[in-house]
Amino acid sequence: MTEPDDVDLNRVWTNLAAEVWRRHPGRLERTAARLLRSPGLARALLTTPSLLVPWLVSTVVVFGAGALLRLGPGQPVVWLLAPALAAVGIAYAYGPGVDPAWELSYSMAVSERMILLTRALAVFAVNAVLGLAASAASGAVASLTFGWLLPMTAICGVTLAVAVAARSATVGAAAGVAAWVITVLANQTASGQLTATVTDTETYLPYVAAAACAAVAVAFLTRPQRGLQ
Amino acid sequence: MNVELTDLTRNFGRHPAVAGVTLTLGPGVHGLLGPNGAGKTSLLRMLATVLPPSSGQLRLLDRDPKSPAARREIRRRLGYLPQNLGYYPAFTVVEFIEYFALLKEMPSARIPKAVATAVERVDLGVKAKARLRTLSGGMLRRVGIAQAIVNDPQLLLLDEPTAGLDPEQRVAFRALLRDLGERATVIVSTHLVEDVGAACSEVALMDAGQIVFRGTPDELTVRGQDHGVGDAPLERGYSAVLAAARS
Repeated sequence: MTEPDDVDLNRVWTNLAAEVWRRHPGRLERTAARLLRSPGLARALLTTPSLLVPWLVSTVVVFGAGALLRLGPGQPVVWLLAPALAAVGIAYAYGPGVDPAWELSYSMAVSERMILLTRALAVFAVNAVLGLAASAASGAVASLTFGWLLPMTAICGVTLAVAVAARSATVGAAAGVAAWVITVLANQTASGQLTATVTDTETYLPYVAAAACAAVAVAFLTRPQRGLQ
Repeated sequence: MNVELTDLTRNFGRHPAVAGVTLTLGPGVHGLLGPNGAGKTSLLRMLATVLPPSSGQLRLLDRDPKSPAARREIRRRLGYLPQNLGYYPAFTVVEFIEYFALLKEMPSARIPKAVATAVERVDLGVKAKARLRTLSGGMLRRVGIAQAIVNDPQLLLLDEPTAGLDPEQRVAFRALLRDLGERATVIVSTHLVEDVGAACSEVALMDAGQIVFRGTPDELTVRGQDHGVGDAPLERGYSAVLAAARS
């Protein structure tokens, strides 16, 4: 059999290989790409270490245990776990030593700041949904079911700010968990009730202030001119 | 000019990793030689826009990377292979290269063909669907090169690209470099002077954060005449320039 002289077999093979090797994004990735208006950001979101299946399974197990275990009558420990779990997840969402290809990602057109914030928000949202589901399933009173959302926001903000400043997920996670433990114990000492941290409305303003300060710190620490140090 | 550096400096604490480098580079393959700790990787990281300079002027592809919009444009046209390529073990070769094509904001419709072309150029077609955790060190290096060239970059920065490649692969890689250098500015940081002699049209030699020699490989070879240290002519030139710079 003869072939026409003008057939470029390399080009034919490349076109064929492109079709055979083409990856077809799943529904979740396509939806994320539409919402974020960036296929690259959507792909980066789906590679978040603390949103991978093993991490999510572990989170569900811990929340499940938190819904079953109780500190006292009507006091499931899920409210105590939720902010710490979310904070650790956010610390391990993006950064050196966490994302294997971090330095390479840093040289890409999709902003590293957008990757960080998108991943952090997604981890927060997933933990909030799982925590609320566990809280609701535990049959706790409304103040305990929803009360931890505001402290969780503040603790997650502090964790993210420390992780970015220290360039270490472990340091960020440790700072976040420590801040939460200190907050709980301090409120217990002041009021005599362990749940005061989430039920006392007087603490809401400090949480909002802490979250706002953390957001400003993260914005400053991830400003475009900074780069890798 | 694709790369214009004026008195570029980068300090880590009190230690100057790059100390006042002034350099202008156009299209072609440029070798960056030097001993460990000479400042090659720091210089390359500044060119890759991942490390901001402490002082001095940096212009890449006729843009100032200090501006976020300009930096984004530069990064779309940039290919970078870091010294230590991190990778996702569960990704396949194609998935990894496609991931970085997406992060470089290539048009989605162009990506499958660009990925296939990059995979073929580094001769990894038979491993296209293999998980990265199953590949050898040399193959991973070629995956890193493929992600760097997937967007057909105007500025290509390669830090120790031939580390882990066998002699046959290195010969093929040098041919690829020469081909890429016809259209783009390619900067190759390496310890291997034979790579420079075979693939580079120009060479810069760094020591203690400064450029101590700039010229063609032949000019570097000439500097090594009557100098005894080194097995090959280019190695003798390298040693002679370093010795002169340190004396």
